[in-house]
Amino acid sequence: MTTDDLPLPDDDLDGHTIEELADYLDRGRTPVDPSIEGSAACRLAMTNMQRLRELSVGALERRADAEPDREAGWVDRLLEAIRAEVRPGRDVPVAHPDPRLQLALTEAAVRGLVRRAGDTMGGVVMGRCTLDGDLEQPGAPVRIDVTAGLVYGEPVEATADRLRRTIAEAVERHTGLVVDAVDVRFDDVYLP
Amino acid sequence: MSTSGPLRDATDATLVARAVDGDVSAFEVLARRHGPLMRVYAEQVLGSNVESDDVVQESFLTGWRKLPDLEDAARFRPWIMQIVTRRALDRLRRRRHHDDVDTVERPADPRTGPERTVETRMQLDAMWAALDRMPVDQRRCWLLRETAGYSYQQIAEELELPTSTVRGLLVRARRFLAAEMEGWR
Repeated sequence: MTTDDLPLPDDDLDGHTIEELADYLDRGRTPVDPSIEGSAACRLAMTNMQRLRELSVGALERRADAEPDREAGWVDRLLEAIRAEVRPGRDVPVAHPDPRLQLALTEAAVRGLVRRAGDTMGGVVMGRCTLDGDLEQPGAPVRIDVTAGLVYGEPVEATADRLRRTIAEAVERHTGLVVDAVDVRFDDVYLP
Repeated sequence: MSTSGPLRDATDATLVARAVDGDVSAFEVLARRHGPLMRVYAEQVLGSNVESDDVVQESFLTGWRKLPDLEDAARFRPWIMQIVTRRALDRLRRRRHHDDVDTVERPADPRTGPERTVETRMQLDAMWAALDRMPVDQRRCWLLRETAGYSYQQIAEELELPTSTVRGLLVRARRFLAAEMEGWR
């Protein structure tokens, strides 16, 4: 670094530079550096840096809050592009009384069905859904793994049971699959 | 577009998990939740509100495609911000190699928003005004460093500047903001 490029030298920071302090802050002040933590000048500089950093993000957020709907058309254009890209996954056969007719749901649609069943049941917010088994085979047994957030105050076991039954019923009603097991893992809690 | 109740309050982690499974409405909630901030940020980095919509839309599309790579689903915001940063910098690079444009329209005055205390609001407005007044090259370095978490070297590479210049710009930016915000402590 040349002095030409740095007409405004850093303040005296007991031998440290602002750059070092910024990196140290980024690391969450670990491992603890005693020569930094022991310097009042460094601690003050870091407090000021932290404050300006928070204010920067805060100022952007405030600005964003102030104009939530300014031309929200980009979201619609985005969704249009995205819908064209949903990975359909495997074809899941759907039973039909006429054997000449072949019907199928995509794996993505079945996952959507599972999420919908859980979301509309109440008491949970559905998360991830995995279908395990030979989905392309009519009558094949499948395992369904789901994660969900539990609404605070709902009984864990009873809600899990209810969710298992709801999902199994929905899948068996709409596809030719036989639901072997539904595994439920609550990974979050929501306030009602 | 009916974004049903449970999704609107769902955490980012839940929404990411669902979006990875192909749930478009979950991704829509993420876009509506984080899009406005990303746009303001892109505007400030670019020094232009003309291109920021495109940058944000492209970034979320990239985000959708790469979502399975996001390891910690709760860190959606910093992750998408990195993508927005990259996109915005691509634009800058392209611009720089065409002609020098840093003379673009600035966005209009901030309006009032809900749910912050008056003093905090005023302080944040003062910060916004200070950022707005800062020369665009300083502001760009500042936001890359302090908002997107880029290192000095990364900023230098991205902006095609010597690291010493970046260092100098950041010193000035910090001094400027510290002085502007002095009265608010």
